[in-house]
Amino acid sequence: MPANLIEAKNLSKAYGDFKAVDGVDFAVRRGECFGFLGPNGAGKSTLMKMIYCFSPRSAGELTVLGLNPDRQAAALKNRLGVVAQSDNLDDEISVRENLEIYSGYFGLPKKQAAQKIEELLHFMSLTEKAAARIRELSGGLKRRLVIARALLNDPELLILDEPTTGLDPQVRHLIWVKLRELKKRGVTLLLTTHYMEEAQQLCDRLLVMDKGRVLAQGKPRDLMARHLPPYVMELPASRRLAATPPGVKVDRYQDRVFLYAKSPAQLHRLAGKLKGHFSIRPVGLEDLFLKLTGRDLHESE
Amino acid sequence: MRASNPPAGPGRPLPSLARKLSAVWMRHFTVYRRNFFTNSFFIVVEPIIFITAVGWGLASSISSMGGLDYLSFIAPGQVMVAAVFSAAFDMSYGTYFRMEMDHNYDSMLVTPLGVTDIFWGELLYHGTKGALFSTGVLAVFALWGLVHSPWALLVPLVGFLTALTFGSLGLFAVRLVKDISQFNFFISGVISPLTLFSGTLFPMDKLPKAVAFCAYWLPLFHPVHLTRMLTTGRFEADWPLSLAYTLIMPWVLGFFAARAMRPKLIQ
Repeated sequence: MPANLIEAKNLSKAYGDFKAVDGVDFAVRRGECFGFLGPNGAGKSTLMKMIYCFSPRSAGELTVLGLNPDRQAAALKNRLGVVAQSDNLDDEISVRENLEIYSGYFGLPKKQAAQKIEELLHFMSLTEKAAARIRELSGGLKRRLVIARALLNDPELLILDEPTTGLDPQVRHLIWVKLRELKKRGVTLLLTTHYMEEAQQLCDRLLVMDKGRVLAQGKPRDLMARHLPPYVMELPASRRLAATPPGVKVDRYQDRVFLYAKSPAQLHRLAGKLKGHFSIRPVGLEDLFLKLTGRDLHESE
Repeated sequence: MRASNPPAGPGRPLPSLARKLSAVWMRHFTVYRRNFFTNSFFIVVEPIIFITAVGWGLASSISSMGGLDYLSFIAPGQVMVAAVFSAAFDMSYGTYFRMEMDHNYDSMLVTPLGVTDIFWGELLYHGTKGALFSTGVLAVFALWGLVHSPWALLVPLVGFLTALTFGSLGLFAVRLVKDISQFNFFISGVISPLTLFSGTLFPMDKLPKAVAFCAYWLPLFHPVHLTRMLTTGRFEADWPLSLAYTLIMPWVLGFFAARAMRPKLIQ
């Protein structure tokens, strides 16, 4: 059994002249949580689709669970769980019926499916809603059901495309708890997200991409250390800085100024000279993300 | 209680083709069960209304057609029209909605199901409906004395096959349209003319020769011709051809139609 569940080398996808994914290299290890970050249109979803056999590659190499997604799609999809961006449940029927129908697509025997469905309803705290029709469910409940549905076949690799977009903080945290629990059981997770807190909470390693290319990849902490000083202070751009002390880096973005330094003390000294209250904090993934992808607005997908 | 099974690993067996097709069939059955009656009622009732109107207003002025009383001549065509419209509508507009609005196929395609599994399952579901609807219409016509032979027991099979054929045509339409309004060309430009010019209302020899020749090979003539032979028990010389055409056509069209959907879903 290879240690890498996914291996991509020089992976590319072109639609006509447009290169959605352009020479991407990465590997996802068994049992880790791997995250794709990037602005809208960066190529994250296309990359996901290539992995779950929706989008044949234009060039490069891709192996998922030791299989070729273009030629061994059924065998591969039999062992994947996929939570797509849209919920695409069958609205007219109940929660349980949705799971029953879906278990049929994997060919689960009826009895085994019934038992698995009860387990998953319990796991995603949906037992009380088992008889409810989908159109009666809130967005959070639907999402939990889509995740339960993706687990019917005990997947080795669970792929989630923006799993918590548009959900309230309670549901988001519940989903994080469940995903961490799955990871503990040995399920490898691959996700895209726009929430840096989500990436921070869940991901062992990250790949930041833009315009189809990889900008950086590695452990969140290493990435931040590599690209940014560890502390940052934010000021309104209207504040005039006499001179920047040595060792402090300045970055401007719209109406804010960002001052980065190796130690909080440097920033505190600077703040002392300026009147007012300024927050001094360790840099986060959001800072890293904006630094790598450029502090300008991107076209949406 | 734990959902905490370790991942299943490569040992998990793949579902058989029959299992995959029946799973898709079950999906459509379960999802559309609730409004099945309202959706199918008029499919069955329309041909009955049509025959009633013709029976009251027209049949008395037409002494015979193709050697039969007029209602017995047109009844078989109306039996097939029920199967035609149910399949052609639901696998054009319906499939388009399932694909573009509800994204149902996307959720099915991340399982071991492939594109052809999905559309063959859907075709078989509509074939089943075609068998059911043609049986419903046939049963009413039988009560009216328009069915003259026990061979008519085979009509549901013809309804099944005809629905497969027209469901496949619907899939070709889905492949070709750029937006939903273009299905008007399919329904009004293809399906409706076929239901008028396929020996449904008058024998083919009333048509100009060239038109008759074309209509003879288009998808509805032989199923209707065969159905008429079954309901009347009067077999004509070309029955083996009609039987072969009706038996083979749906599988050929379905084969290409299911494959034609691939680029719509896998890009």
